[in-house]
Amino acid sequence: MSRPSLTSTVFLKEIRETLRDKRVILGVIVSPLLVTPLLIGTVLFFAGKKEIEKQASIVEVGIVGHAAFPTLVKRLKTDEGFNAHQFDSREAAKQAIKDRTIRVALIVGENAQTEFSSNNSAPLEILYNFANENSQFAQVQLRNFIGKFDKEALADRIEAASLSEKFAKPTKVETTNIAAGSSAGSFVLGLFLPYIIVMSAAFGGIQTAFDLCAGEKERGTMETLLVTPASRYEIVTGKLLTILTISFIASCCAITGIIAPVAFGLEFFKKLVGDSISINFASIVWMMLIVIPLALFTSSLLLVISSFARNQKEAQTYILPFFSVVILPAVLSTVLGAESHIYTAFVPILNISLTMKQISGDLFDPLYFGISLATSFLYAFLAMRLAASFFQREQILFRT
Amino acid sequence: MGLLDYHIIYQQLKALAKSDENNSIGDSFNNAFFSIILLERTFLTASNTPKTVIVAENLTKTFRDRKRGFVKAVSNISLTCEPGKIFGLLGANGAGKTTTLRMLATLLEPTRGTATIAGFSIRDDPQEVRRNIGFLSGSTALYGRLSAREMIQYFGKLNGMSGPELTSRINDLVERLEIGEFQNGRCDKLSTGQKQRVSIARSIVHSPPIMIFDEPTSGLDVMTSQTIMAFIEQCRNDSLTVVFSTHIMSEVERLCDHVAIVHKGIIAANGSVRDLYAQTSEPSIEKAFLKIVNGMDTENV
Repeated sequence: MSRPSLTSTVFLKEIRETLRDKRVILGVIVSPLLVTPLLIGTVLFFAGKKEIEKQASIVEVGIVGHAAFPTLVKRLKTDEGFNAHQFDSREAAKQAIKDRTIRVALIVGENAQTEFSSNNSAPLEILYNFANENSQFAQVQLRNFIGKFDKEALADRIEAASLSEKFAKPTKVETTNIAAGSSAGSFVLGLFLPYIIVMSAAFGGIQTAFDLCAGEKERGTMETLLVTPASRYEIVTGKLLTILTISFIASCCAITGIIAPVAFGLEFFKKLVGDSISINFASIVWMMLIVIPLALFTSSLLLVISSFARNQKEAQTYILPFFSVVILPAVLSTVLGAESHIYTAFVPILNISLTMKQISGDLFDPLYFGISLATSFLYAFLAMRLAASFFQREQILFRT
Repeated sequence: MGLLDYHIIYQQLKALAKSDENNSIGDSFNNAFFSIILLERTFLTASNTPKTVIVAENLTKTFRDRKRGFVKAVSNISLTCEPGKIFGLLGANGAGKTTTLRMLATLLEPTRGTATIAGFSIRDDPQEVRRNIGFLSGSTALYGRLSAREMIQYFGKLNGMSGPELTSRINDLVERLEIGEFQNGRCDKLSTGQKQRVSIARSIVHSPPIMIFDEPTSGLDVMTSQTIMAFIEQCRNDSLTVVFSTHIMSEVERLCDHVAIVHKGIIAANGSVRDLYAQTSEPSIEKAFLKIVNGMDTENV
């Protein structure tokens, strides 16, 4: 039977020692709270800056057959967003795109002006390099320009034919997004937040788990610990609680480290989702709650690995299958939508990832949440039993 | 003074301490108070300890090995240790010494046979067995990120000690083992000698009546080995029962009251050092050991 006093003695000692480990502090607290926001901030800052630069930049555009469509070419040459260059052949323009002297080329068909004037469609072709993001952007800009030209030409044609503007618009559609600004933002956040939280819960405790069991074997302290009156169950419980605590702290730090910089409303996110992102506190509480069985499950699995390994180095070699077990469902959650079939609520890790996705996207489903929570606790319990059983077996603890 | 006398003094002091609202009883008095508690604890332990403190009967341990199948590491080992004596297990590497000690310390469960330690069965009452033993090996086995004092305190707590009783015991050990200078320094920063002293303190913090040493000087330099040897002798002077394993002959000659030569998992010879000389007609333990072991190997061939 487990005596709380001895379990807490083991737990308090392990926590004290763990929190003195600089590697743990760096990986579990400093990195998610300082490095991650800094990285996200830096990436978003430069992405936003580049977006602004793109918007302000002048597109170098090549024109082949400029004399065949003077109406369009004249407009293009006078547009401030473009710098037009004339080319004699399609091949020359293509080479120029490859050489990056121009980003995009407009190939005008021979009889373009005639067709345009006859109220037909003028043949045009756009050349661009899909592999080059600047060329891609230039292609979009050129299409927008032509779209604008088309719209104006269409208006002229309708007017000339004495028709109503509605003639060219058989339907009038208005689209309204019922999601609040925060929900839209949360949807974007929900794409990657579950993945990062699952990773933090699973891997936040690795260093601690390996140190507490495989490390103890390596240093010879395990023997001296097992020879005290504390039972193996008390010892393993104390150790498991330590790993769980560290994993939970890692997850909380990861949530804070991601939400904080985003919630403070970076300009880029405003552009991306139309509003700043905010997740309400209730969502965070639900996320924290669902993280507990996840952290318990992964902590127990880590303890199983650590108990089995003879030393920390050997434990590292067993981590690859563990990575696969955890990463695959987590990655799958980024592909599957939040409204997945109920059977996914029974799949470990995937159920938690999808539940988090639902929470962050305002798609909270109590039934899905309930099943996920219950099955996750069940899997965590089974993993704990496995860890305790491994710790009881002398052929595992004293493997040579 | 008998146990009853100690108990009466203890009860009177306890009542006095309770009524001491003005804290007029000084620290020295409190120290004396807890010394008596310790004395009582030692007395109780001593009075409950049977005459033969370790009795092992047919201890056998079989391991399953993937390549070799079932391997008998220890076979039918029976031994008896008298209180206040040093019992040595002498054998080459892989002879079965560590397995035997691990079974006595309840780290491994015997495949067959049993043993009683201080009257408690290793099979039925392993926690009581562990409460009555101190375990020390050649590895200092300290937690690097704990201080020396925290280390001793942790093991005291694991052995059920707490509060002023534990503090008093730690202070006593810190003084006796000269740990004071580095008691608040992290264990991973200590020298080997300092670590060994902390390791000793860790193993005796709960005042066990029995000490088990598993090759305690293995890998240590001469100076540190001498500290350990002196400590084992001190244990005998303090009337503790000691079982220790070694493959160093000089340690056996210097320390052991009784020796069992372990070879290939069985006890090949058993007796005092003088008995072994007599049995083999050899003048030294080294020669006696080799004669016994080689004789066994020849018989097997």
